[in-house]
Amino acid sequence: MHTLHKPLAVLLLGLGALAPAGHALAGDEDALNLADNTQASTEQARDWRLLIEGAIGGSDQRDGTQTRSQRVSASVELDTRLAPDWRLVLSDRVDQRWSGTLQDGDAINTLRDAYVSWQASPTRALDVGRINTRYGVAMGYNPTDWFAAGAVRSRVSEDPGSLRDNRQGSVMLRGQQLWDGGAATLLYSPKLADHREDGSFNPDWGRTNGQDRALLSVSTRLSDSLSPEWLLYHQAGGAPQLGLNLSWLANPATVAYLEWSGGRQRSQLAQALGGDDTAFRQRLAIGATYTTDFKLSTTVEYDYNGAGLDDDGWQALQAGNPGRYWAYRGTVSDLQALPTRHAWFIRAAWQDALINHLDLTGMLRINGDDHSRMSWLEARYHWDKTDVALQWQHYGGNSGSEYGALPQRQLWQVLLTRYF
Amino acid sequence: MLKTLLISTLLLAGMAHAAPDAQQLLAATDAIRNPDKPFALTTTLTEYRNGKQTDSSTLAVYSKADKVGGEFRSLIRFVAPARDAGKLMLKSGNDLWFYDPANKASIRISPQQRLLGQAANGDVVTVNLAKDYKAELGGEEDVQDGERKNRHAYKLVLAAVAPDVTYHKIEMWVDGASSQPIKSKFYADSGRLLKTAYYRHYENRLGVLRPTETVIIDGLDPNWVTVMRFADYGWRDIADSWLQKDYLPRFKPE
Repeated sequence: MHTLHKPLAVLLLGLGALAPAGHALAGDEDALNLADNTQASTEQARDWRLLIEGAIGGSDQRDGTQTRSQRVSASVELDTRLAPDWRLVLSDRVDQRWSGTLQDGDAINTLRDAYVSWQASPTRALDVGRINTRYGVAMGYNPTDWFAAGAVRSRVSEDPGSLRDNRQGSVMLRGQQLWDGGAATLLYSPKLADHREDGSFNPDWGRTNGQDRALLSVSTRLSDSLSPEWLLYHQAGGAPQLGLNLSWLANPATVAYLEWSGGRQRSQLAQALGGDDTAFRQRLAIGATYTTDFKLSTTVEYDYNGAGLDDDGWQALQAGNPGRYWAYRGTVSDLQALPTRHAWFIRAAWQDALINHLDLTGMLRINGDDHSRMSWLEARYHWDKTDVALQWQHYGGNSGSEYGALPQRQLWQVLLTRYF
Repeated sequence: MLKTLLISTLLLAGMAHAAPDAQQLLAATDAIRNPDKPFALTTTLTEYRNGKQTDSSTLAVYSKADKVGGEFRSLIRFVAPARDAGKLMLKSGNDLWFYDPANKASIRISPQQRLLGQAANGDVVTVNLAKDYKAELGGEEDVQDGERKNRHAYKLVLAAVAPDVTYHKIEMWVDGASSQPIKSKFYADSGRLLKTAYYRHYENRLGVLRPTETVIIDGLDPNWVTVMRFADYGWRDIADSWLQKDYLPRFKPE
């Protein structure tokens, strides 16, 4: 787009240099005329947000068959003041899916937030209820996002942003102390149930509150461009885990980040299939986002999961009992973790691509051990209150690999979103 | 000889008195654009391309000057469009954070990423230029202001002293009598004109005549025009502890 405008810009700059400084250029005059006729009304802030989304999609399976699916989703958020120091926060989403016929439908409700917040003083607050708490600066894989485990009830997109948004909150008591340039947060999330309940509107306590858990985070601002966040997490029956989130401004166009966690823990294989192989294991995500002046943001991220299988272990699992293989895959998916040690995540988002209001986003996940990959592309056009998006997703790799073992080869989806 | 020397000295003294201190004049324009105590205002941005309105958005800005250095630290809340309602941006120099209530995440963004959105223009109201730029007097000129009136103005040429500012050079025309900024031109490192801004419709806000509208014309595409209107000025008590990423999920203005 800018290439096309460049000659015009040079011409205008040239004209600008020749024109006497004391008079507005014709362009300036036109702009001021537009401003004179602007009838802008100031919108007032609201306490709620609502969106309705419809989607039609299909997939090509590896066995040659095709599937079709439809979905209607509603998402509502409320953040309102009950009294000067008290707030109520509610956030809920319902996904109604059909595959094939309208009789073959299934609804899943995800209660993301339902809590009250007491601002005891300008620097001290206490929250109680169901809270979707999220940690981690990385984009593709979050080693410190402990509360992600099991929290996704309804997977509507492989976009990591969507997976972080649309998940169930954990019941917890959370306190926060702020000071100039830093904050400390302590939360306790109790065990409320032993088992999950997959009923459409079941509160599903066991999904997010199946264990007693506690987390302490402390963040400090060392400089304008550096503010680390330290975390200490503990789950009943396990050893304490340390975490670190760090992001810094490498230059005016680049943000770099590092997310790390480590502690004594079982491997994912032992978590899935039983056994105790507790050892010190680390997880890491390190990456950077670079933004060009033509609105293209590109993120490249390397991920390491010390609790995942190494190359040999992964190949051995693939060659062994399919039941054990899929049990492991199920656990990994539930934990929102990586099945193997190494992975790459690349994301490019181009805002106002080619034409104004058209956003193009591409995402590539590569398993660094078996080299299988997932590609995801989205074209999204937006009006003031409506979005239309086309998404395409492809899984490639050898059978048994992270992405090659999935029954789908490619998926597509058309979405219509209306904001109220 | 003595008489000539005396006349010369007086003339020099007279000139020195007449020519204002460029840096002080720049600081005076900052004081007109930015109230000197913590404040809030609402900015409505209307965007035009080729004469047609393409976007409209409303931002609520909460701002206060840093105790040390005077740099403005701002919380910007997106009010409209509905898609972005409730999102927040924290700006403290180049320390920029973006918060989305949908995923409860506060994400550090780069100054270049900030320029992607409407807030790129929305927060220009709270910038203390005298902190980041060295001003020199570029002469006196008669210029047409945003209301097409001819004004006698000082031209200030601002050179960035901080290495990481968005605009490498700024030219600003300032009314000699009132120190009101009339218009500015913002340039990139390459010398490319990035935007032209007209400050207009001066009205009394929080005790000072301040521009209630800024018209911004894109430097590359003059058909891309953004009209910014400032309303609902008010003094607001903003605690220092609020101006950090961990407070963003709790920021709920009255």
